[in-house]
Amino acid sequence: MALASLPHLSGMKKNDSRFNPYDDNGGSIVAIGGDNYLLIASDTRLSTGYSIYTRNQSKLFQVSNKSIVGCSGCWCDTLTLTRLINARMQMYLHEHNKEMSTPALAQMISTMLYYKRFFPYYVSVVMGGLEPDGSGWVYSYDPIGNLERSKFHAGGSSGALLQPLLDNQVGLKNIQNIVEESITLEKASRIVQDVFISAAERDIYTGDEIHIMCITADGIKEEKVDLRKD
Amino acid sequence: MSILAYNGGAVVAMKGKNCVAIASDKRFGIQAQTLSVNFEKVFEMSPHLYVGLPGLATDTQTVHQRLKFRQNLYELKEGRRMSPKAFSAMLSNLLYERRFGPYFVEPIVAGLDQNYEPYINAMDLIGCITQPDDFVVSGTCASQLYGMCEVLWEPNLEPDDLFETISQALVNACDRDAVSGWGAVVHIIEKDKVTIKHVKTRMD
Amino acid sequence: MSNERYSFSLTTFSPSGKLVQIEYALAAVAAGAPSVGIKAKNGVVLATENKQKSMLYEEQSIFKVETVTDHIGMVYSGMGPDYRLLVKKARKMAQEYYRTYEEPIPTAQLVQRVALVMQEYTQSGGVRPFGVSLLICGWDSGRPYLFQCDPSGAYFAWKATAMGRNYINGKTFLEKRYSDDLELDDAVHTAILTLKEGFEGQMTAENIEVGICDENGFHRLSVSTVRDHLANIP
Repeated sequence: MALASLPHLSGMKKNDSRFNPYDDNGGSIVAIGGDNYLLIASDTRLSTGYSIYTRNQSKLFQVSNKSIVGCSGCWCDTLTLTRLINARMQMYLHEHNKEMSTPALAQMISTMLYYKRFFPYYVSVVMGGLEPDGSGWVYSYDPIGNLERSKFHAGGSSGALLQPLLDNQVGLKNIQNIVEESITLEKASRIVQDVFISAAERDIYTGDEIHIMCITADGIKEEKVDLRKD
Repeated sequence: MSILAYNGGAVVAMKGKNCVAIASDKRFGIQAQTLSVNFEKVFEMSPHLYVGLPGLATDTQTVHQRLKFRQNLYELKEGRRMSPKAFSAMLSNLLYERRFGPYFVEPIVAGLDQNYEPYINAMDLIGCITQPDDFVVSGTCASQLYGMCEVLWEPNLEPDDLFETISQALVNACDRDAVSGWGAVVHIIEKDKVTIKHVKTRMD
Repeated sequence: MSNERYSFSLTTFSPSGKLVQIEYALAAVAAGAPSVGIKAKNGVVLATENKQKSMLYEEQSIFKVETVTDHIGMVYSGMGPDYRLLVKKARKMAQEYYRTYEEPIPTAQLVQRVALVMQEYTQSGGVRPFGVSLLICGWDSGRPYLFQCDPSGAYFAWKATAMGRNYINGKTFLEKRYSDDLELDDAVHTAILTLKEGFEGQMTAENIEVGICDENGFHRLSVSTVRDHLANIP
């Protein structure tokens, strides 16, 4: 569009229907890290435009015993990226004889996204994991690998709806006269369910079910909760 | 970039128990550059009737002036106050008159009707009215506001709780929008009093 | 019409300060068929004479009592064609009001706006004043309204009034009969009695028209209903 509007390139205007390699398949990811747990959740709807491909596709990928990648956006890019991450995890294991740590994984994902700086994966990535000290942290990325480490994040099609809510309810932003303390797993789980129910009310690309995964020192637990399906 | 987001700003309104609340941020800027932090987008049209006009700042002012013009004529001609419904119909018409060269505002009307029942609605920039029975949002951080309101709002809030709810919704939504915020103002409208509170927010 | 350069208004002041065209218009009204309006506690009634000269005339086809909106109706004394133009304009103004504010036009507003049109026809070039006086009745804000609108554009709010032929006698009769706590049915009765004063020939359900307006809105009474009312009159 912008190119075609330049006069010396206006010859390109005829036959403008070029192949578009990207699609937006929607989906949302929410992750909360606590003192001794990491909670990450996604919806299970996969859609394009007004049609739904499936109501049962989680966007969470366990890549090690300590970390889970959540990935939404262009589904084919999600598949490619997560398979590549898994392969790199294997290579790391074979070369180093140990599982990659969460911070190392975080940096690797950033590098992998930036590697395709000029033909990016069209994805919103939220990775969560337990760090060597046992605490849960969340790493979030833009499509070209900009990385932010935080205690909570909302990404994907409902990111804009949910992030201010997490700021308020988890980050305790704009609340006066309270002691800041980290929230319990139970509370985090409740908040995650609440925010997905809300997102499903207003975002047509989020719905059907929530897939919740929780990493603690005891291992990984999974749970599914119903969302509205319209 | 949309002309609607040129100056930034947001408005939200909510129904409560025998009361309504309407709130706006106070920023006025040109794209990323903030020029003023006391530009209110909510106007008192009569004791129980308020209108919020987020969007292009010049149109905020023009639409407000043209609304007041038409409302004054109505009230002088008929010797009575305008109901929120009549006011909304008038505003909707005013916007639709410019169907093909619209005012870049997406208004919100909030107030109490003749029987002091809560009334809220929202319109698009050419006057299509939606009238839900919980809350309405508008402005550059509308999606953030939807997320906040959808969780925080509940039916039959008392005025004090309604104030807390709408303030938290607006402030937290604005904090995730680069072109909204820089202070907020909340109007709580009850049968026999209107409370106006200015809320401090982060200024970055 | 009025934008043509030499198109002056016919309605010009006489040296004594009168607008004789308007007085002639009022004379046309006073020569017209009588009509009556009475406000009651729970509604308002309009009644008029609709006598035809020939027995060949097809009755119940063209009416003098007309609905403007659900809750407003009107009737006239004077010239029929002029009246029908005003009915058309009144209906349009009522719909425009509803379209603008999504609420029904208050009776007082409609009267004001119809009166404005009538006034314009006393001051514009290329036109003549309307040869009608209107009785407009309505129900809004939980109470009845009754107005009279003259060719000059003047309008009056009445409890009860009469216009057209013999209107002075009609008003005198109403002054004697009117009371503030009249029920609508009594008002219909009184309105018919008022018409009967000075009615030439036999009054029947076919040669008068009655319209009533209450909280349910305005409507013209059917011939059989009028006949029932007439049966109660000695």
